[in-house]
Amino acid sequence: MVTVTIDGKALEIPEGTTVLRAAQSAGIDIPTLCDHPHLTPYGGCRLCLVEVEGYRTLQPSCTLPVSNNMVIKTSTKKVLDARKFVLTLIFSERNHFCPYCQVSGGDCELQNAAYHEGMTHWPLQPNWQPYPVDASHPYIILENNRCILCRRCVRACDELIGNFTLGFEERGARSILVADTGVPLGESSCISCGACVQVCPTGALIDRWSSYLGHEVKFDSTKTICVGCSVGCGIEVFTRDNNLVRIDGDWDKPINAGVLCEIGRFKPMAEKCDRVFTPMIRKNGSLKAATWQEALTAAAAGLKESKSKVAALISTRQPVEALAQFKQLFSEKLTAELVTSLEEGMSTNSLAASADELGKPFESKLDELKKSDAVLVLDDDLVNDHQVAGFFVKRNLPKGSNLVVVDANSNELSKLANKVLTPSSGSYDDVVVGLYAAAVKLGLIKAKKSVTADDLAKAAAKTGLQTDDFLDAAFLLASSSNPVIVYSDKTNSSVLREFAASINAKLVSLKGEANSLAASQLHLDKPFRSTDLKAVFIALGDGGITQKLVKEIEKIPFKVVQASYTSALTAGADVLLPSTNWLEQSGHYISADGYVQEAIQSIKPAEDVLSISETLHKLADILGIRLDDNWSKLVHDRVSPVQINK
Amino acid sequence: MTKPKISSDWMAGCAGCHMSLLDMDERIATIAELAELRSTPITDLKHPDATGVDVGILEGGINNSSNEEVARLMRSRCKILVALGDCAVFGGVPAMRNFFTIEESLRRAYVETESTDESGKIPSDPELAVPTKVRALSEVVPVEVFVPGCPPDADTIFYVLSELAQGRIPDLKGDKLSWY
Repeated sequence: MVTVTIDGKALEIPEGTTVLRAAQSAGIDIPTLCDHPHLTPYGGCRLCLVEVEGYRTLQPSCTLPVSNNMVIKTSTKKVLDARKFVLTLIFSERNHFCPYCQVSGGDCELQNAAYHEGMTHWPLQPNWQPYPVDASHPYIILENNRCILCRRCVRACDELIGNFTLGFEERGARSILVADTGVPLGESSCISCGACVQVCPTGALIDRWSSYLGHEVKFDSTKTICVGCSVGCGIEVFTRDNNLVRIDGDWDKPINAGVLCEIGRFKPMAEKCDRVFTPMIRKNGSLKAATWQEALTAAAAGLKESKSKVAALISTRQPVEALAQFKQLFSEKLTAELVTSLEEGMSTNSLAASADELGKPFESKLDELKKSDAVLVLDDDLVNDHQVAGFFVKRNLPKGSNLVVVDANSNELSKLANKVLTPSSGSYDDVVVGLYAAAVKLGLIKAKKSVTADDLAKAAAKTGLQTDDFLDAAFLLASSSNPVIVYSDKTNSSVLREFAASINAKLVSLKGEANSLAASQLHLDKPFRSTDLKAVFIALGDGGITQKLVKEIEKIPFKVVQASYTSALTAGADVLLPSTNWLEQSGHYISADGYVQEAIQSIKPAEDVLSISETLHKLADILGIRLDDNWSKLVHDRVSPVQINK
Repeated sequence: MTKPKISSDWMAGCAGCHMSLLDMDERIATIAELAELRSTPITDLKHPDATGVDVGILEGGINNSSNEEVARLMRSRCKILVALGDCAVFGGVPAMRNFFTIEESLRRAYVETESTDESGKIPSDPELAVPTKVRALSEVVPVEVFVPGCPPDADTIFYVLSELAQGRIPDLKGDKLSWY
């Protein structure tokens, strides 16, 4: 701790803290532009200049660390004049005319800074130099004329995402923001995560979907979670008049701390599907509109008639409340022959079996990836799936973290890996045995009864890999201090767990859809089998379904489908029920690493559209059944692969 | 005490700031009680009194030789000059053309417009004002009061006028300070 005085306030501040953060911790406001709490200090905009006793010139507070007995003044005339001058220079450099800018009116940090300093005009006029505009990207517009060269976007792309797409070309006033080596953004290595747009303080990076739909102050905002995959990122949904306008990452959510992938940020905006708006019943071969009462009565009659010869399948994108009620209604009350998820437990079955066998959780939180210095990824393409988990891996690589990718198929993560193992035969277990044996041979870990150094040659023969490949990869992993193994249901095995334990590696797995883990905890994980089924209830919601299942379901005589969007499945339904989509309903989700989080409704559904949970209650009423709300107890009843937080 | 005299005029703008001035509705009567409204582009008297006024208000940027004359005349006849609106304060929307040459802008406006046939040509009558780069008012003459906004709110204009009419210089901050 060091003692500093800021504006006459004596403060005890931890050593290494910057003057800016020290002032902020004491509630003293210093305006900034290039600073961002989630990015490393850069010191580019000079708006945060302060006076420090004994220093000849004003100092940028964002890069100046506190030292003992430092006396800092943040609002002397000298400082205030400098701020105005800095803003004047920034305004004069490019096109910062507010009336024709998307972010003007509350969303622009540059404009807000000028208001804060009470500026009514610019003492210097711009030099009218035009800069390029890049509108080649499907979601993002790069407007260099609005850029203030703060490099937040470049730092976000590097430090948060690990993608290194953005950079600057030229120097000084000529500097322009470019993608890769100056290619159009739309043809660059950009992965459309949108982090750059979210951190841009001005209108230099704007997103096509939300731009010119109004100022942020006119929007309603809801902090909720993304249900695009099992990572469970925190998001902030902006709506206007009940229409989706924009999705931002939630900086305050520890899981993703602000970052999102294309699926979370932009895909929901671009989605164009036809909605199911009203309940329908098949009459004389074609679907006819009906009331909810008529449709549910028809569904109840068809289900009752079929006795136990009923299958009930629910999407793992549904909240755990719906999953639990679904199970209760169909399994316990209607004794349906098959009650499972549309995912059929494919991303959790073997993990759940291991948890049952071990009697305790054996996986770690995704956060371990952020702290890791070596990562082994087994058959998981984190560039394309569960991308945010991929960011945690990618962003550590420049810090010297090692990455080993094992994949029999092509894996985009391979490009970034220090070592890639592509087995041509054998199983992933054989590869793990090879890595184990290699680490033993290197003397980094002790041999076990099951695996010795002699197994290295055998593993090489089985997998078609070289022993040197194993030795290289094993060295990278076993010589690190915080290794993490990213595996999946498919690559789960006892030998993998043994290997992980021997090199002190944390195990992390991703689990398919947003609520796959919850479905597994509720035993909604059985494979589909068709044995003389008479009726089926499919709670699809806005989820997906495999072609294989669609074919199987076609054979069942009576089909009740509840879906948000029209598809081949809804076209073949006997009773079709409209369902809310993820933005229109609330409920809890359990992330891949066991965090129980609540999704909050951000858009009100159309009048005749109900959530699956509401529908189940109505259906239960018609059948004379009462449903309890006991999901919380149920999910904790089964041992889970990862600790489930309350 | 004699009432302070106020004159206004417009240049390269859209007249929107004067519309916003009228948007203060019945409060304009209050201003008329506090001050004497002299020449404006929306009343009969078109030029500020040769004997001078207390407050001159100009809307719009300066984009040709005629605007320049208007600005210099007003400056020479008023004690306090007010730049009203984004065009007068910064150059505003008309200043977008500064990113092109005047020749390019004229060609776009008179020749290349989608609704213009092959007879379109750039006017060249010697009596016409000569187009220049678009400038903020303060680039041509000294300005005392800047009222940004596109247009400034009627409330803001009322505040500015009532302060000036009572001999005070308005201090724009908080919700009165808006650049768009």
